[in-house]
Order: sequence, then C-alpha cells, then structure tokens
Amino acid sequence: MREEIRIGVYICWCGNNIAKMVDVEAVSKEMQKLPDVVISRTYKYMCSDPGQDLIITDIKEQRLNRVVVAACSPRIHESTFRKTLSSAGLNPYLFQMANIREQVSWVHSSREEATLKAVSLVQGAVERVKWHEPLEKRTVEVNPATLIIGGGISGISAALEIADAGKQVYLVEKQENMGGKVACIDLTYPHLYSGQQLIHSKIDQTRSHSNIDVFQNSEVKKISGYIGNFEAEVARNGQEDIELIFGNIIVATGLKTIDAAKVENYQYGKLTDVFTSFELEEMFLKGKVAKKDGGIPKNVVIIHCVGSRNTNYHEYCSRTCCMTALKYANQLRSALPDSNIYQVYSDMRAIGKACEELYTSTAGRDVMFLSFDQQDGMPQLRKADPEDDCEMLVEMDEKLSGETIEIPADMVVLMVGMEGHDEARELGRMTGLSLCGNEFYIEKHPKLDPVATTTDGVYVVGSCQSPKDIPDSISQAKAAVARILATINVGSVEVEVTTAVVNEEACCGCQTCVKVCPYTAISFDEEKKISVVNEILCKGCGTCGSTCPNGAIRSRHFTDKQILSQIEGLMSIHKPE
Amino acid sequence: MATRVDPELKKDLKKFGIEEWNECYHCGVCTAMCTHTDKDVTFPRKTIRFLQMGLKDRLISNVDPWLCYYCGSCSDQCPRNANPGERMMVLRRYLTTVYDWTGLSKKFYTSKTWEFFFLMFIAVMVATAFLIFLPLSGEVFTNPELFINAQGGVKLNHLIDGVAPDQFVRIIEIFDWSMAAVVAGLLISNIVRMFYFVVLRDKTIKVPFYAYFTELWHLVWHFATQARFSKCEDRNYWLGHWLLMSGYTIMFIMIVVALPQFQIEEIKEWYHWQRLLGYYATFGILFFLIYVTIKRINREDVKSKYTHSSDWLFIIMLGLTVLTGILTHVFRIYGWPATTYVMYLLHLIVLIPMILVEVPFSKWSHLAYRPFAVYFDQLKQYKV
Repeated sequence: MREEIRIGVYICWCGNNIAKMVDVEAVSKEMQKLPDVVISRTYKYMCSDPGQDLIITDIKEQRLNRVVVAACSPRIHESTFRKTLSSAGLNPYLFQMANIREQVSWVHSSREEATLKAVSLVQGAVERVKWHEPLEKRTVEVNPATLIIGGGISGISAALEIADAGKQVYLVEKQENMGGKVACIDLTYPHLYSGQQLIHSKIDQTRSHSNIDVFQNSEVKKISGYIGNFEAEVARNGQEDIELIFGNIIVATGLKTIDAAKVENYQYGKLTDVFTSFELEEMFLKGKVAKKDGGIPKNVVIIHCVGSRNTNYHEYCSRTCCMTALKYANQLRSALPDSNIYQVYSDMRAIGKACEELYTSTAGRDVMFLSFDQQDGMPQLRKADPEDDCEMLVEMDEKLSGETIEIPADMVVLMVGMEGHDEARELGRMTGLSLCGNEFYIEKHPKLDPVATTTDGVYVVGSCQSPKDIPDSISQAKAAVARILATINVGSVEVEVTTAVVNEEACCGCQTCVKVCPYTAISFDEEKKISVVNEILCKGCGTCGSTCPNGAIRSRHFTDKQILSQIEGLMSIHKPE
Repeated sequence: MATRVDPELKKDLKKFGIEEWNECYHCGVCTAMCTHTDKDVTFPRKTIRFLQMGLKDRLISNVDPWLCYYCGSCSDQCPRNANPGERMMVLRRYLTTVYDWTGLSKKFYTSKTWEFFFLMFIAVMVATAFLIFLPLSGEVFTNPELFINAQGGVKLNHLIDGVAPDQFVRIIEIFDWSMAAVVAGLLISNIVRMFYFVVLRDKTIKVPFYAYFTELWHLVWHFATQARFSKCEDRNYWLGHWLLMSGYTIMFIMIVVALPQFQIEEIKEWYHWQRLLGYYATFGILFFLIYVTIKRINREDVKSKYTHSSDWLFIIMLGLTVLTGILTHVFRIYGWPATTYVMYLLHLIVLIPMILVEVPFSKWSHLAYRPFAVYFDQLKQYKV
C-alpha cells in the first residue's frame, strides 16, 4: 500500500526572467488542478531565503512529501532545493525540478506558447516526483596515501606538497629519470632562468623526502577501487610487481612533441639542417649551436606552429611554442651575434605574465618577424642553389605585406606542437578518465573545476590535460593537492547514490553492461555469473540500464517508471485548437 | 617570383635615422588616421612592412615616402610608438641616396664630416676665385664717393677692380646659368634613375605612351601648388611651406633669369616691383624658416621631434644665405661700399655650396622628387 502523495508545486518568477514570458500564475493554477497536488504557489525568487522558507513552512504545515520547483536549470539550483527539503526533514530525493527559464522563457518569444510549454514541463515533473523514492547518501573512508603518475614538474610539485603535509606519496615515473620535459630544456621563458637548476633541486628533494616513494622506470599496470580506496599494480623495470594502496590519484603524465616529419612541407629528416625545437634545446644544453657539419649557421629560421593550429594536424594551440621561440631568438642572438634570426609565425601569442614584455624586448634584438597564413600561406622549404648563398630557402606568402618572399636559411628550427601520449587512452581507461578528442584528459568542468575529473578521487594536472607552461602546471598541481588534502583531512567522502542496481535474478550474465560502462564500475562475478556494480565508481549515467537486454539493471532515481510517468505528464497537455 | 628578405638593409638604414623597426605590429591605425590613405588602404603601413622585411627592391620602386608630408598624425596615434611618420622621413633620405648615381648623396647623409668638408671646399673655392678674379677696387678706400649712386646707395657693379659694371653682371649671370645647368643636370639624371626604379622596372604596370602626356599635368600642378600637402590635417605647414617655396622660386628667377634687371646700380623706390618681389621672397623664406626652427627647437610636435643633422644643416645654410642677402641689401642702401662687397662675397660663399649640396644631393632635392612621385604614382595606376 503506497503512502498518500502530497505534492507542493512552486513556480519561480526569477524576477522578470521567467515572469515576463511565462504566465506563472496560470501555470500555478493549472497545477492546482492536478491530483495529489496539495498546494501550488508562485514567488519572485524561489532560491532566496524567503522563497526557501515558504517551501519549508508548507512541508511542515501541509505535510508535503513531494516537492516540485519550476525555475532555472537544475545545474544551478537543484542542490539548493534538495538542501531545503533536508532542512524540513524530508528526504532530498523526493524533489524534482522543471527548467522553465533556459528551456522556456529565455528561448521563446510567444507568451502564450511559452506558458503552455511551462505547464507541460511542470506537469511532467509532478507526474515523475510521485514515483521518487527516498535515497540515502553514503560515505567512504579515505586512505591518506596518494598515487602520482608522472614525475615531471607537475607530478614532482604535487608530490612535494603532499609529502610536506605529512602524507604518503607514491610517485611512478615511466622514464629512467624524473624531470619530464623541463629536464630537456636549457632556459625557461620569460625570464631565461635555468630549467636545469629549477628541476634538479626539485628532483633531489623528491628523492630524499621520507614521505615519497619514487618508482622510476615503472609503469602502472592496473588500478582498481574507488575514491579513498584505490589499489594499483606497478611494474618496475618491466617485471617485479609492486602493490600499492592509496586514496587519491594524480595523473601528471604530460605530453609529447609531434613527429615533425608528419608536416611534410618542412622536410624534416630529408634536409640536413632542419631541427626540432627540442633538438635545439639539446644544442644549448651541450653549449654549441651548430649545423650537422659543425659549421656556424648564418641564417637561422624559426618556424612556429609546426603541427599546431592547423586542421591537418592539431587544431589547438600548443601554448608554449611562441614564447619558447622568442627565447631561442634571445639565446641565438647571444650565441651567434652575427647571425640573422627570422621568426616565421602565424600569430604571436604572448599570453602570461611578462610574456608580452619578452616579445617586445626580443623584437628589439635584430630579429625579423614574418607572418604566414595557416590556410593558404604555409612556408615551403627547399634546398638552395649554389648561387643562393645559403643552404636552404623558405618560400612563403607573407601575410602582412601580401608579398611572396623567400628567406635564406642555414638552419631551420621547427617549433613542434604538443600532443598527448599514445598511452593516454590506456591510462585513461585504467583511471576512468576520458579524452577530449585530442589525447588530452577532460577535466570535470572547464571553468569551475579544472583539476578534478568525472571519476572521484582522480585528478589531472599539468600538460596531460592540455599543453601548459611551467607556472600553470605547478598551479594546477597545487590546486589538486589542496583538494586531496581536504578529503584526507575530512577522512571520508560522500558518494553518489543515484547509481545502477543489478537485479541478480534477472541478470543472465551476458556482460553487455560491463563492456559499455564508461566508468569501469561494473565487474563480472565469475562465481554467481552475474554483473556487479561498484556503487562508488558508478555515476548513474544509465548506459548499462538502457543496454541490458533483460531489463535487469535499474538506475536509482532514473527508473523506467519515473521516466515514463514524466513523459506521460509532458504529453498530456494539448495545445488548444 | 619570390623576393628575398634582407636583414642587412636595416644596417644601411641606421645611418639615416632608423634605430629600431619591429615595434609596428600592423594594426593599421596609421592608415586609418592618414588623410592620404587611398582605396587599397595600405598607406603608409605597407611601406613600413617593406622596411621591416628588408625588401629593398620594393622600397626602391615605391613612391609612397614622397607622398607623405609628415603631419605626424600616424605617429601621434600609433599604439606601439612605431613612429611611421618618421620612418617615411628616413626613407626619403634613403631614397634620395638611391636615386643619386654619384654616391655623393649617400656620403653626405651618412657622414657629417664628408658633408662639412665638401661645403668648406666649395666655400673656399668660391672665396678664392672671387678674390683673385673679381677683387675689390682699391679706390673704395681712397675715393669712396665714386661708388655712391644718386640715391646715396652703393653702386654694386662698380666695386670690382678692372671689371666694367656690365661685364660684372654678365660674369655673375654666366656663372648662375652654368651652376643651374650643373645642378639641373644632376637632378634630372637622378630623376631618370627614379623613373627607372619606380616605373620602368615595375613589371606589374604597362603605361600607354599617351599617358605620359595626359598625366603630366599632375607634375606641374603639384609642383606649383603642393595640393597633396594641403590635404594634410594641419594646413599651416602647407601654407608656410608654400610661402617658402614661392619665395624661393621668385628669388631663383630674379637671380638667374632676370639678373640684369635685378642687380642694377640704381636703387629703386621701395614700392618698385623689383624691390617688392625681393621683399616678398625674403619674407616668404624667412617666415617659414623661423617657424620650423622654433618648432624644431621646442620639439613639441612629432614632426619636429627628430631633427637629423641634415635638417639642421639645411636650416643653418638657408638662414645664413638669407641673412647675408639682407645685410648686403642694407649696407648697399646705407652706402657702405667695402662692407657691401664683403657681405656680397659672404652671401655667395654660403649660397653656392648650399645649392650644390642641397639641391641635387640632399634635402632640397625633394622639390623635384615630390611632384615627380605624384606623376609616377599616376603612371603606376596603369596595371598590366
């Protein structure tokens, strides 16, 4: 026998945002007519304190056990109203929101039709909320250790920060040595500090820190578990398996440079003195900039955006190359005072502190800037004839002058773009991270939550999320650390309850759900021959439920009954003829 | 055909006054400001770009620097302080040396020493030749009244020992004409070179024969009026410059073409046309000269801020010429024969080197290059 349903419906004006296009009073009156609706009201700002108090009072006085709020997007205020229900002693899941602002008032121009649509949406919510069930939030304990994958500047910065706070860190580095890309560069921009000094002191601190266990030449083979309680298998030197237990994961795997040979017009690997930017770094580190034959180049041409900002390769900007190229100009001007230095660029992007200043000061050091168009002005490289008085010629349509020009070159430096590692997808699968389409990991929210991911307890920092410079990587690393230390401090975390549940009797063991789950939350119980949902990992996306051929998986808070009732409610409104 | 960029060009241009050239990032504010911007909206930005890229050929075939009158609006408004106005000025100096086949222009612009010694050399030559061949009559000191005319002024053409007055005027006249011929010859040969660089060598144009004549009026019109200059925002400069130019032209006609009517023994009434024209010319030149000198000293507007040594030299030489000319005239009227002779000689000592250096090789050559640039620019409209 079901309890008596007593629904309260609240229509928000949102000041004028909703009320100017939707006849809120009419919507309210329509709702009043529905069965089980005890009370229906409108208010100027439902989310305000008086608005919420209105709901609380009604819940208490009218003995409401279901609440519908028709206002803005649930992304904005669903959690607000759930808390309102909680404070009135009602389970927060006995609530449904109808979006009549973004979906109605902001996008329609006929008041009559907008009102009708609002009625339909709110009615759908009313029909749905009748079938809502109380759900209880759960918490899990957090293991205070952290696994950091990647020992570049981001991983090291995060490791030191956590370790200094007195917590255990396991740092897994795939390479022989830590340091990542920063260890490959001579000077950093914009202040031309030594990258080596910067990274090596950090590496030493990391190695000697009593709270950090460093596993070099190691790879994570398997990760299981969930926030607060992860387990991993790590293979060191390709064999010896190490098992680790930890509560949070920081993915700091960085990026790699694109293969310059792919950008065919620059003849990398075919013409002798075409180098990548990292090969030039190596020359600076060794202390001698020279051509392959050891000769001193007279004309050095630095070509930007090699494989970046071009739909044939990568559409995105690799972020650090412009400033690195300017840094090269400065270094070359000092190393080869008599050389001619050319910057062949597409757009000069001098974002970041002191970067515009670097551009201005570099421009004053006898550097020629030549601009090309990514669509139809790509520079072409060819071997020069003997009478040309140089080794190679770069021919291009110069954008700012409209002239077709040739640039004499004895050394060409390609500012190679950055891309995600080939293994990014595999590691993403292990850690439950998604890629954004460019082999870079997706953060939870591009603006509001740039370090967390859709898998709780897993954070992305540094260049594995997108190409970044050193300060940005470190900022992100430290932001992730703050989040992790906060959860460690609390000792437990709340986990989502709107998860999938397997009806063990109906499950036939086909494992379709295991394959489709994007969060690796479903495993197969070999003994019982049924699927098992890890409710901590499950995000309640519903993919499994919709794929299950037997209807054996039910998504809490998104049951078939709830969704079908909502649809019925929506469809029962007819436009008056 | 691709044009080769040349970073070395910058080193050449440094001597003409360019320190840095990368400030400009081609936002186009200069183009938006300039009243001379035409349909393709590249003036003056495109020239600045050629400069940055070291496209020497493009710069040489480009007349845009001559079509700019340096009002300074572009430089005032430039968000990068790239100073396009001054760049155009520097390029005019550079182009003058490019057109000049003797190489003297480049020497004068890039070496103050060279210019100074050349001026001194001519000055000494003039003084020596004059003192040897046209010495002052000794009677000036024994019988000064012989040299005073009915009006109480000096009989200028009687001052030379052993040379009859007619003969003296004739000698000066012949000298004037020969000097005009030399200067014009140099200037014309340079204009021919300019024509070659700007029009003949440009493969993107094909000028029909008749156009050389139909477009010729631009040359005459712009020479006489500087109409293009008058389109600049600040018209004071145009007016002042026109005063100077007209004064100079009148003076030129009087001392070359009409010397026998101008350098006469009798002193006419002040309102006689010959004296009035002389006064107008002197006023015109002096007025603008003082105006720009004050501006250049105060350095208040962009145009007057960056004075090259060649600009100062021009102002000083022209100022001294006018000053000695006025003094010669004053001493003559007051009837001081010896002082008049000395001042007349000083006048020539300044005037002749100035004309020989400035007109064919230096700043003054713009009197020809500017109107020809307008003419050539019209010819360049005949695209292939």
